[in-house]
Amino acid sequence: MESLLLGFSVALQPGVLWYAFLGCLVGTVVGVLPGIGPLSGISILLPATFGLDTTKSVVMLAGIYYGSQYGGSTTSILMRIPGEASSVMTCIDGYAMAQKGRAGAALCIAAVGSWIAGTFGVIMLTLIAPPLASFALRFGPPEYTALLVLGLIFLAYMSSTSLPRTLVMACLGILLGTIGIDNMTGHFRYSFDIAELGDGIGIVPVAVGLFGLGEILSTPSATAVRDVIAPRLRQLLPNREEWRESAMPIARGSVLGFLIGLMPGSAHIISSFLSYAVERRFSRHPEQFGKGAVAGVAGPESANNAASTGAFVPMLALGLPTGPITAVLLAALMIHGVPPGPTLVNEHPDIFWGFVASMYVGNLMLLALNLPLVGIFVNVLRIPYSYLYPLVIMFCIIGVYEVNHSIVDVWIMLIMGVIGYGMRKFGLDPAPLVLGLVISPTLEMSLRQSLIMSNGNWAIFFQRPIAVALLVICAGLLLLAVLSLVRSRRDWRSRLAEAEAGDSS
Amino acid sequence: MTLRTDHVAGGVLAAFGLLVLALSGDLPVGSLSFPGAGMMPKLLASLLIAFGLMLVLRAGDSAPLADISWQDLPHALRVTTITALAVALYQTGGFLLTMTLLLFVLIFGVERRGLVPAAAFSLGVVALTYLLFAVALKTPLEQGVFGF
Repeated sequence: MESLLLGFSVALQPGVLWYAFLGCLVGTVVGVLPGIGPLSGISILLPATFGLDTTKSVVMLAGIYYGSQYGGSTTSILMRIPGEASSVMTCIDGYAMAQKGRAGAALCIAAVGSWIAGTFGVIMLTLIAPPLASFALRFGPPEYTALLVLGLIFLAYMSSTSLPRTLVMACLGILLGTIGIDNMTGHFRYSFDIAELGDGIGIVPVAVGLFGLGEILSTPSATAVRDVIAPRLRQLLPNREEWRESAMPIARGSVLGFLIGLMPGSAHIISSFLSYAVERRFSRHPEQFGKGAVAGVAGPESANNAASTGAFVPMLALGLPTGPITAVLLAALMIHGVPPGPTLVNEHPDIFWGFVASMYVGNLMLLALNLPLVGIFVNVLRIPYSYLYPLVIMFCIIGVYEVNHSIVDVWIMLIMGVIGYGMRKFGLDPAPLVLGLVISPTLEMSLRQSLIMSNGNWAIFFQRPIAVALLVICAGLLLLAVLSLVRSRRDWRSRLAEAEAGDSS
Repeated sequence: MTLRTDHVAGGVLAAFGLLVLALSGDLPVGSLSFPGAGMMPKLLASLLIAFGLMLVLRAGDSAPLADISWQDLPHALRVTTITALAVALYQTGGFLLTMTLLLFVLIFGVERRGLVPAAAFSLGVVALTYLLFAVALKTPLEQGVFGF
């Protein structure tokens, strides 16, 4: 409790409040605009945080992340265009409600559900992260190796594409992460006499290239047609029946989303899909789903917000990113000289608790921002795409260049943009590549340290209880994945892939 | 046999793995008790080849290559070329000049929007961004050889 009070004393400082507000505002705009995800938004604004202290930087960047989850629902409900991939499921019933003249109620339920789920997620983060970090202090290199392998296997298992596709992308990411000077022996690896490559390939150019530029290249401006409806303020309140119908889906979505958020993978996307499936199963009127069911908006919207908060638990407590967004946030901490992981809670309590407390405040700000100002945010969508994407390209270039003042990084971003375009054409998911790139140095270092510790004996991974437990889970997940591969069984992941494909077409 | 997307994707990735192995000749693998700088890259390149081949073998589940729509390719090529030119010019021309040109060429040249709106938008946005970064956020932007 004392720690949380310390956090609030940091988070309620006017400077921190201002940057939390700025993050929430930018996040909402990023969420509203299709084609610009939170990852691009965070990466682009990363250099702008260099002049700030660590708390303000992380508070602002995290605000963009969870703000985008709020904003993503606006376009889903009003235009049937998901501003964010995690809002795909909201399109179905949210847009159907809008067609029935209940757009305002749908927006209100989405915002209130997001707020409740976000706040629930932060309470759980407050309770879980510190003890988990204390537990993680027992981790040595073998445990970290097993944990990172588990992260990759979990990502592959949860992925909506096939196991080999995810693993091949993760391998490619880890391989890219080996470029540069080998920390243990000083060898230059694949740097081709380019001095900048000696430090390796950065996360920001790769993430911005694959997700930001890649998205722009595969979206011809002629196809981006906008038809915008702006609901009036007085139409925003749901009626009593709608409130009643949304209560349990919000509660279930919050719990489900938080639990899924703890796991590696695109948790905020998966959680909204699963929540939709759960609500349909629980509903007394499943036939209403697709025709404007309130639960079809309340559940998924709550789940994706709880998941985005849940993703901060492994990030803050273990220093383990569960996806590309938390990976870039980790990079932001490292740029500011703060090592993420178990020591963060004890050695930088002001940053950790200030960040946690700012999320309570940020969620309130988002509720206040998203409802009364929905009409203004919707106007952002009136900017023609042919004007918008050149602007995004400009911010991509500045964002990447300003991190290291390196033009090589910008070239890497451009190359990654082209690769991202190609990957979209061939149905390959770029997220495992980015995650692989992030964990690569830690994975390699912990694996090699483990082997040195054991004098080359692989049995070290089976002699330590935590490592064994993690590897047993890995084996179980691999077995499940191989079984479904062999049987070619259609499960929730294939249905998720179909839903995503259906949306993009 | 129908050529499918995973035939191409798996083949390219496996070939990339082979290329990495070929480029890793001088990196020492070391021993298990003291792994060298080449151990991890060679292991990963081998896995890349294995998974790439697995994709090729299981390509029947993927879409036929002919189904991929390349209608957006000319637009993507134009945008990539112009962005590449801007990147090449960035350190010489500086932020103000290069970004104004980038926006203008993309909006007027690629998107065929009006000359005046394109010019006004390019100049206005670049000036606002400059003020935001350089003045409000105190993040200096690239000046180029002309000093602005």
